[in-house]
Amino acid sequence: MSEPLILLRDIKKVFLVGKISYEVLKGVNLEVFAGDFLAIMGPSGGGKSTLLYILGLLDKPTSGSYIFEGREVSTLSEAEMAHLRNQKIGFIFQAFHLVPWATALENVLLPTLYRGSITENYVERASLLLDRLGLQNKKNLKPAELSGGEQQRVAIARALINKPSLLIADEPTGNLDSKSSQEVVKILKELNEEGLTIILVTHDPEVAKSAKKIKFLNYGVFVEE
Amino acid sequence: MGSSLKNRFLLFLAYNREVVKELLSNKVNLVFMVLTLVLSLTAINTIYALGKSAEKQVLDTLANLNFGKDALLIVAGGQRFMGIGLTRLDTLKLEDAKALEKLSFVKLVSPTSGGTLEVSYKGQVEKIRVEGVFPVYAPANTWKVKVGRFIEDEDLEKLNKVVLLGSEVPKKFGIAIPIGDKILIAGQHFTIVGILEEKPSFGHFPLNERVFVPFTTAQRRLFNRDYITAIKIILQPTAEQRTTVPLIRSILRERHNLYGIAEDDFRIITPDFALARFLSAQRVLQTFLLAISLISLVISGVVILNLMSAMVEEKAGIIALRRALGATNRIIFIHYIAISLTVALFSGFVGWLLSLGVMHLISAFTPLKPLFSWTSFGLSLIFSVATSLIFSVIPATRATKVEPAILLKRL
Repeated sequence: MSEPLILLRDIKKVFLVGKISYEVLKGVNLEVFAGDFLAIMGPSGGGKSTLLYILGLLDKPTSGSYIFEGREVSTLSEAEMAHLRNQKIGFIFQAFHLVPWATALENVLLPTLYRGSITENYVERASLLLDRLGLQNKKNLKPAELSGGEQQRVAIARALINKPSLLIADEPTGNLDSKSSQEVVKILKELNEEGLTIILVTHDPEVAKSAKKIKFLNYGVFVEE
Repeated sequence: MGSSLKNRFLLFLAYNREVVKELLSNKVNLVFMVLTLVLSLTAINTIYALGKSAEKQVLDTLANLNFGKDALLIVAGGQRFMGIGLTRLDTLKLEDAKALEKLSFVKLVSPTSGGTLEVSYKGQVEKIRVEGVFPVYAPANTWKVKVGRFIEDEDLEKLNKVVLLGSEVPKKFGIAIPIGDKILIAGQHFTIVGILEEKPSFGHFPLNERVFVPFTTAQRRLFNRDYITAIKIILQPTAEQRTTVPLIRSILRERHNLYGIAEDDFRIITPDFALARFLSAQRVLQTFLLAISLISLVISGVVILNLMSAMVEEKAGIIALRRALGATNRIIFIHYIAISLTVALFSGFVGWLLSLGVMHLISAFTPLKPLFSWTSFGLSLIFSVATSLIFSVIPATRATKVEPAILLKRL
């Protein structure tokens, strides 16, 4: 069997609020292989988002081992983690998080700015991604001029611009109506079928069903449903 | 290599676009940042440029008087204390001028004997400076006659009661072309033989409000004295003041029987000395005003620190997003320093432009003339950039501390 893309061993995360410590993750173990589509469900405050940020290299665990593409994450510097986030991981957020003063095309190109390369190929790729996601006539519009579904599709294009090996989606349909949600889920499934590894956090069982695997995180540990 | 340069250029443009768009996203913040810098810079630039303008006008005045590096002025009386002479004023004689004329490095010697006297025309009386001069006075001071003629040797020989008027004098008396008219100087009738061309004058040195009479007439008929008030010397082009001034001093001291620790009873004024005297008071004031302006610049810096901090706080979500998308701490830091730099360059330019406007306004009410200066422009940019950068380091560092994991939840 091939090496997992992600390997978590006994991941713990403790937050200190004043003098009180909260153990949000209590020893999480996880294996994710290339091409997987994993949905993580669980109650609010159960540690889903915290786990997602650790998986997305936005945060480091308090203890435990996280191996991403064969590299131990805890040994990486801030710049190396930023480099990995930029090149290997795409993010989709519940609130889209587009830069309000940039056009759809400029938002999609934003990660290439931090890659240190902004060649015409990227502009063409960004344009093609927006075409593919049905935004061919909205490239020069600003986020405020787009609907929620359109904004999320711009965010998906932004997540894909640097050809990542992992797409992390935090409640990607949480702010969308059912039609837009279905469109986003359809896009995610297509991307997974093309080989992209996806980890999705959701409260919506319908959305979770589109994933190949579902895991339940209950107050810091994975449990069987 | 070419494509790498192109890529860097494209990146630079893209980063700049980001910076400008982020700045324009909060126009109120931007306006206050620019305003606080512009006000201080306008004050600094105006004070600096007005100082330079004053200096230039003094230099121009000296140049118009033919008081360049080849000129010296010897005036009667030694050191002064609070405007009062500490030595005798009657020791400088025409013979001193004649002795100096014989020196090989001296080109022209122009002795003068002057004083302020009552001058009246058709009943109107004014106190005006009267100079008794030789014909050499005109080339020694580059005076040109506008109408009529200058003092001639014959006037000196015959003690003629003739007078030349400075260009302002006819205006003072309301005379149009007064050649041939009579004017009273100290109660004696003098015939007006010429009017001098106007020279630019500055401050308390009204060059054009003087009248000129033959030296001998002045000595015997007006002042009744045997000493003179000044000697203007023009040196040969090869002579250097560094060596000639001590030599002239020693000759005069010997002629005046001054030995040992005896004070000089004359002063040798060089162009550098004259300039320093002209500007010393003005420089003290200018330094004081500049110090106040620099303090205001520091206050501007503190305002910028606050506004930049507010911007970082307001844009924390965007900063977190940038970090999530792969921006390193270094990139975030540079981004906010670039924002500060953009504000600084813009403010520096606007501050400089405004100072030009203020200078034009001031020049309308004072003798100072507006002065375009690249140094002032450069200083404006340097002060602006330095202030803005120094006070942006803290907010920019704070921006690098924004935690993407925590803030992304807040957005």
